[in-house]
Amino acid sequence: MTTIALPGTDSTTATPQAAPPVRRSGAKGGTGGRAGRAGPVTYTLLTLSALVSIFPLYWTMVAGSHTNAEIAATPPPFLPDASLFENIGAALEQAPIGLAILNSVVVAGSITVGTVLFCTLAGFAFAKLRFRGKGLLLSLVIGTMMVPTQLAVIPLFMMIAELQWVNQLQAVVLPTLVSAFGVFFMRQYLISALPDELLEAGRVDGASTARIFWSIVVPVARPAMAVLAMLTFLTAWNDFFWPIIALTNSNPTVQVALAGLGSGYVPQRAVIMAGTLLGTLPVLIVFAVLGKQIVGGIMQGAVKG
Amino acid sequence: MATVSFQQATRVYPNSERPAVDALDLDVADGEFLVLVGPSGCGKSTSLRMLAGLEEVDSGSVLIGDRDVTDSPPKQRDIAMVFQNYALYPHMTVGENMGFALKLAGVKKTEIAGRVAAAAKILDLEAYLERRPKALSGGQRQRVAMGRAIVRQPQVFLMDEPLSNLDAKLRVQTRTQIAALVKRLGTTTVYVTHDQVEAMTMGDRVAVLKDGVLLQCAAPAELYDRPANVFVAGFIGSPAMNLVTGAAVEGGVRLGGTVLPVPRDRLARAAAASGRVTVGFRPESLQLVGPGEGFEVVVDVAEHLGSDAYLYTRLAGADPDDALHPADVVVRTEPRSSVVPGQSLWLGVPPDALHVFDPATSQRVD
Ligand SMILES: Nc1ncnc2c1ncn2[C@@H]1O[C@H](COP(=O)(O)OP(=O)(O)O)[C@@H](O)[C@H]1O
Ligand SMILES: [Mg+2]
Repeated sequence: MTTIALPGTDSTTATPQAAPPVRRSGAKGGTGGRAGRAGPVTYTLLTLSALVSIFPLYWTMVAGSHTNAEIAATPPPFLPDASLFENIGAALEQAPIGLAILNSVVVAGSITVGTVLFCTLAGFAFAKLRFRGKGLLLSLVIGTMMVPTQLAVIPLFMMIAELQWVNQLQAVVLPTLVSAFGVFFMRQYLISALPDELLEAGRVDGASTARIFWSIVVPVARPAMAVLAMLTFLTAWNDFFWPIIALTNSNPTVQVALAGLGSGYVPQRAVIMAGTLLGTLPVLIVFAVLGKQIVGGIMQGAVKG
Repeated sequence: MATVSFQQATRVYPNSERPAVDALDLDVADGEFLVLVGPSGCGKSTSLRMLAGLEEVDSGSVLIGDRDVTDSPPKQRDIAMVFQNYALYPHMTVGENMGFALKLAGVKKTEIAGRVAAAAKILDLEAYLERRPKALSGGQRQRVAMGRAIVRQPQVFLMDEPLSNLDAKLRVQTRTQIAALVKRLGTTTVYVTHDQVEAMTMGDRVAVLKDGVLLQCAAPAELYDRPANVFVAGFIGSPAMNLVTGAAVEGGVRLGGTVLPVPRDRLARAAAASGRVTVGFRPESLQLVGPGEGFEVVVDVAEHLGSDAYLYTRLAGADPDDALHPADVVVRTEPRSSVVPGQSLWLGVPPDALHVFDPATSQRVD
């Protein structure tokens, strides 16, 4: 479980680390160019934090290629070897990891699309539209953030049982299609990033509210939507508590399937670790491909202010 | 083309007791360029937004042509608006910004392209049609905002301080360009500014607002020559008209140690309520006269501008601590006069350049 948090810690440490060189070049040259020259101190810090971030992933590979006894030895092994692939094969046999990854993609993908769409819609309404009961509704939305998930689990389970959704993906997707945090986050962003005049210009130009939303609000909100998408996807991918209640090992998400791996009489850590590696790879790939754009989105929003 | 008419139009913002615009009555003729001017917070933008449909009208009505649009949404009013900060859509190119309204109206693509190109030509924006607003200078953005309005060929142009984000030199240039362009298009225009020079140079007529109330609406020359009240008198003209209040005495008004002659009937009516009279005279209408002929002032500062010079003076014999009745008098003189600070001068006001107001009502007395 620990390594799965890796992309999150990686990206959160990467952002502040990336900031100093940019800020420096701005202060020195005033040109604001990208080619700020970072000193050796910066590079040392960056290297260190990169190593710290990468280590859990690396250790997953090491632990995934050694038996329980080898891992427990002193000194422990430091290099992965080819038995990693055997263990991955074992993990694939013991749990339906392929299906789990597919399910997780569907679940996290739907939750992300839904959350970003609904939170942007609601955030826009709360930020810029006038309607009766706005203040009360907003306090209600924010209030739900203070209710712990654990409290809602039993009634939620009774509901999905009633709907006969147990062990079906919609049981995991629907309850999290919109989040109070996301609504609040989008509202705060739009209050500051979307000038009223832009909406008024749209109205004078003859746009309906729906048209204004798609043609004016969404393009302005895009950086915040990217951040929300990233956070939501990670949370959904890593979610364990509700999926393990709502789903079973015959139709699991990645986290549920991984939990199934460790359930033998003597858990084989190597197999668990190999499975964990498999379950983390898709997220890593998403970030390798989209990382630049996501960070770009964050920076763009910050600069535009 | 259309006329515009405000009829007792009033706007009271929620949680505010005083109306931001109070029973505004104003008629704008077809093709006229009307300027709303007044100090910040006087309700100019609110009036314009009521006309645009962006602000509710609490009572009274607003007409465009013969149509009562009081409760119509902006899109049904056939108006185009230029905002103070331009409000260009940041993610659209210049061309898309200008064509957006036409696209929404379902105009054919080829026609949109043609009209955008024509507007871009007029505004000298042809080279920038593919750029995003953030890659433009302030002046270019301003022109895109104008372009967005003119491609629509609306009934009425509404402009809310469209020049206030430009630097002083560009502002003067653009001011003439806008006035000429709008004149050529012949579209009815309501233009808001806090700058009285802009108002006087651009407007066919100028409406002066203060605290949500329309004080006077007239052609610039009329506003200058016959201000209806003390506020308009002081607001229009730069440097401002000298306005001094003094006790009415036999034959005139006492200014400091001397008496300025005021025609008998005007003096009587202006002083009827309070026994005092407010007189106004513009810096350029004051004449140097011989000692004992007009009223006496003492020079504080002499400012030489090259083309002319301004003397900042005080009424001789006035109480310098009387904040209620300022005794400052500004005089325009020949550029190379040899007047020095501390010197005392005698000034005369030609009878036709003297403005008389009743201090009790602030209204002009003729
Ligand atoms: N949205 C609003 N809510 C409450 N009061 C407002 C609002 N907008 C403007 N006002 C008030 O109404 C008055 C007129 O404002 P405005 O029309 O913007 O003035 P101007 O454009 O002449 O500077 C001001 O006193 C202002 O504080
Ligand atoms: Mg204003």
